[in-house]
Amino acid sequence: MVLTADFSQRPLISLQHVWKRYANGTEALRDVELTVPEGDFLFLVGASGAGKSTLIRLLVREEKPTKGKIFVDGQELGRMKRRHLPSYRRKVGLVFQDFKLLPRLTAFENVAFALRVLGEAGRVVQARSKDALEVVGLSNKHDTYPREMSGGEQQRVAIARALVHSPRLIVADEPTGNLDPATGWEIMQLFLQINQRGSTVLMATHNRDIVDVLRRRVVAIDGGQVVRDDRAGGYHEALAASALRA
Amino acid sequence: MKLWRHLLFALNSAWQSFWRSAAVSLAATATVTLILTMAGINLLVGHTLAGVLDQYRARVSVISISVADDTPLTTVTDFEDQLRSDPRVVGVSYLSKDEALARFQADPVNADIARQIEGNPLAAKLEVRVGKLADVAAIDALARQWRGADRNDPTDYQGEFIARMLRLSAWLNLAGVVILFVLLLISIFIVMNTIRTAVYHRRHEIEVMKLVGATEWFVRGPFVLEGILTGVLAGGLALGGLLLAYRPFVDRFHSDLFFVPLGYDPAFVGELARDVLVAGALLGALGSYIGVRRFVRV
Ligand SMILES: Nc1ncnc2c1ncn2[C@@H]1O[C@H](COP(=O)(O)OP(=O)(O)O)[C@@H](O)[C@H]1O
Ligand SMILES: [Mg+2]
Repeated sequence: MVLTADFSQRPLISLQHVWKRYANGTEALRDVELTVPEGDFLFLVGASGAGKSTLIRLLVREEKPTKGKIFVDGQELGRMKRRHLPSYRRKVGLVFQDFKLLPRLTAFENVAFALRVLGEAGRVVQARSKDALEVVGLSNKHDTYPREMSGGEQQRVAIARALVHSPRLIVADEPTGNLDPATGWEIMQLFLQINQRGSTVLMATHNRDIVDVLRRRVVAIDGGQVVRDDRAGGYHEALAASALRA
Repeated sequence: MKLWRHLLFALNSAWQSFWRSAAVSLAATATVTLILTMAGINLLVGHTLAGVLDQYRARVSVISISVADDTPLTTVTDFEDQLRSDPRVVGVSYLSKDEALARFQADPVNADIARQIEGNPLAAKLEVRVGKLADVAAIDALARQWRGADRNDPTDYQGEFIARMLRLSAWLNLAGVVILFVLLLISIFIVMNTIRTAVYHRRHEIEVMKLVGATEWFVRGPFVLEGILTGVLAGGLALGGLLLAYRPFVDRFHSDLFFVPLGYDPAFVGELARDVLVAGALLGALGSYIGVRRFVRV
């Protein structure tokens, strides 16, 4: 069953017959169709090598589709000029499995860095970084370095950094992949909270428990194809569907 | 305001980046210093040679026409007027037999011979200063056709010598330019490779900058500044060395090569300083610009 988007809302993301073939010939995505309305919370599930990260790289225009079109907020990414990339990326908050924090900067500086590179004034940087750290519950860790923090705390800093420009869309590639289940669950709560504040969240994950419990929209991909798109699915059903296809 | 913050950020990260890979940065600075020193020596030698050549040029652009003893003075004045009205001629002066002798005797080099001279064997002379070195041959031809000239030794013009001087100076100029060009190319290449190292050291930072939406030139700026910093630092060091060595060097060779009019030119020091520093900054900027275009893509 493929659920079409609610057309009363303009979709924030729309993939139309998207194919991606890497230079070495790997066909990572095949004819992917996907529509994500604003405010959605979507899990992208699938086995390792299914094409989840590829889809995310296409969404942040790290890669271009070989065929097909991707629209985000009405802009076609394949046609976007290189000089427009930075302003596009400011609309998207990115979170990774390996956090990607700068080890020489404190938690506060890591968050502030995202604003500094945009040339924001010191006052603005201070206030907004402080707010972002408060949202993720790290107000007491401003001056702590990444190596002095737990994985969960580091991921919170990364989330604060992704939030600091108030992006419409948060894209996360296996954000709980390096965390123990309890910590992973806390991080997931944080994403839910962010979603409730209005940001659209698209998350690739392996964490079947979380997917099963949260009953959010689940898009399963297998071998580069969308095999299931479920409004309130679970990991097992999604994978069962992919098993059926195989 | 925003620009100022960007500049501060770039300066700060350039400085940190320079010292983060201190070994590479300092090695590059040392190499570029060496190269700029060589380039500076090239400039100094070129300038000094140009000075020497200019003196030769000034000397050879004057030809001296010996007047036959039996030439009436009016013929001489007529020819003098003819030369004066020639646009290629800058000046003409007449030296009578007596004056020629007096001048000959006044030169201490000729002291021995002068004592043995009986009467006045010297010819009167017309000294003609020609504007362009290339026109000297034509004026010489004119003088040789003049019937008042001494038949045995009409002028002191040495055509082949002048032609050779001109060719030599052209070659020296060309060689200087080629050497400078090669040296600068090598420096640019070295700076480019330092930038490659710096980019590698900062790859995580670059990745984070990209993902939070920093513009391409915001990411590249600090590296370009780092290149300029390397170039200017190397230029300053090279200049210091050159200035310390210039005077003693000239003094030393002045006494060895007394026949070459080698000179210390304080006016050239300012020019040299400007050239070496600007060259350092430019090659730093160019090397890092190329490096960054190749290695930093957003
Ligand atoms: N840069 C790349 N070049 C070539 N093949 C790649 C590249 N990145 C991923 N792939 C291949 O594309 C397929 C999908 O990979 P990926 O999107 O990373 O999957 P997932 O994130 O679901 O594990 C895999 O077969 C992978 O080997
Ligand atoms: Mg992946």
